[in-house]
Amino acid sequence: MAADPPRGVVPSAAAGGQRLAQVPRGVQCFFGDEARRRRALESQVVSVFEGWDYEEIIPPLYDYAEVFSDPDLQPRTLSFMGRDGGVLALRSDFTSLLAKIAAGRLSDRPAPIRLYYSGEVLRDEPLRTGTQSELYQMGLEHLGGDPRAADAEVVAVAAECLERLGVEGWVVAVGHVGVLGGLAAEAGLAQGALEPLRERVDAKDAAGVRALAEQAGASPECVAALGALIEQTGPPGVLPRLAAALAFCGPARDALAELTGLVSSLVEAGLGDRVVIDLAEVRGFGYYTGVVLRAYAPGAGADVGRGGRYDSLLSRFGRPMPAVGFMFGLDRLAALLDGRRPAASGAPPEAEVVTAAALPDALREARARRARGARVRLEVPEP
Amino acid sequence: MTLTIALAKGKLLSGTEALFRKAGLPFPNGDGRRLVIPVDAVRFLLVKDVDVPTYVEHGSADCGIVGRDVLLESVPDVYEPLDLRFGHCTLALARLAGSDFDPRRASTLSVATKYPRLSTAWFLERGISPEIVPLGGSVEIAPALGLADCIVDVVETGRTLRENGLEVVDEVAVSTARLIVNRASYHARREAVAELMATLQRAIP
Repeated sequence: MAADPPRGVVPSAAAGGQRLAQVPRGVQCFFGDEARRRRALESQVVSVFEGWDYEEIIPPLYDYAEVFSDPDLQPRTLSFMGRDGGVLALRSDFTSLLAKIAAGRLSDRPAPIRLYYSGEVLRDEPLRTGTQSELYQMGLEHLGGDPRAADAEVVAVAAECLERLGVEGWVVAVGHVGVLGGLAAEAGLAQGALEPLRERVDAKDAAGVRALAEQAGASPECVAALGALIEQTGPPGVLPRLAAALAFCGPARDALAELTGLVSSLVEAGLGDRVVIDLAEVRGFGYYTGVVLRAYAPGAGADVGRGGRYDSLLSRFGRPMPAVGFMFGLDRLAALLDGRRPAASGAPPEAEVVTAAALPDALREARARRARGARVRLEVPEP
Repeated sequence: MTLTIALAKGKLLSGTEALFRKAGLPFPNGDGRRLVIPVDAVRFLLVKDVDVPTYVEHGSADCGIVGRDVLLESVPDVYEPLDLRFGHCTLALARLAGSDFDPRRASTLSVATKYPRLSTAWFLERGISPEIVPLGGSVEIAPALGLADCIVDVVETGRTLRENGLEVVDEVAVSTARLIVNRASYHARREAVAELMATLQRAIP
């Protein structure tokens, strides 16, 4: 027996037959000024990456699904069956893919390896307004080398991108996953208690975090430290207070010391008024092991860029090596800068119209003007 | 720097006004018609409660004041730094009074509610996949009309439930008013946001 058709579900083009203009959820299409503006933004960011001696890599659009097996990534990855029966997946993350390439194809390259990419990732995002499945990302990965220098370098490159783009009022929030990790271990939280705690830390709900930690039987100093992660957010001046709050917990203290080292370098390099400390920044992929970064600008709604240190990811692909990366979301940057700088890329020059009664003459004339670099538009009368 | 604050029209508005006045913060004098109201250095948006998280998540407002019940349903990507400790209510599971039907033990179940996501999650955790009857209001009349076996709805005093012949079976969640903050504003407009948070914190009962 045939089932009744579902009500309220937008029929697919295949089922309906008539809706040729209909698009599937999550896809975007750009043209005209918008397309030009996106290309201009991309080339500005990429030129900064090149300027810091990062090398472009154009990775494949799909690979084996296991490349994208990070627990936070895997459910959002679009996978399909290959002809040989292997499970393949559309790239949902550049970092995982570049880690695989650095460990494989580039295995004979000495560290440090500096790579950048610019392109789309595809995600199977939950149905929500404003959530696109195609995200255009421009990012870099610094693989191997001295981690301290690499972290600082990556922030400096990101900072230059934001300066060049003319983003106003931007800040980079820096955190370290080892702090909450250390405190959670110290508190002896059961696996089931960790996720609700993380959720409240992410919401910056200090009272909620303290209540959960007390319920879970954490020590008073641990409860106080968890509260401090949230309440001591802000300019680098909060670091001494955080150090005092975390002094009792070795792993959290070590993580904070690492972060403090990075922040001092940035402050000394003149970026102090652009850095904010946010140890309650605990979202992001599970592969992060150290410093985590988010770039914010007023009016952007969410972060315009993000990154962090992932020291264990490359060992999954057989070349253990510390690494750090950062990426900008082109869609977020374009939305932020749209209208603020309407003529950022400028309209293209007016085309020279080439007309001639005979098509061969018109073509010859157009080719000659093209050789001089003109923008031409052929207008040949119909015979 | 001007902050934009989204306020929920409806039952939280008087409590919000009391808190803002106590804190010495500007507050719009309600003429009921204007929806964007500048007062001193603050711009207020008066919007439907379920829309407050939307304005804040997308950055149209830097901050908002909304019930935790709304946040539990819409799960917006915002910070939620302060429990403002007014607007106390319970999200309760309720059935016809005197019934011996226990929705938590049912094999099939229909639930009328304004909170479909939250209600579904709550029953799924208990091993029941409920059929949701989504309603926008007057949820309390659904069981008597046979529209649903039970309801999940906001209960403040319990009077509306009693008057519609219902009784509470279980507590799904408790709610109070919360300050929510846009993620970018929290960092990139930090001085203004931090000052608002500190001022409100001092006035919280």
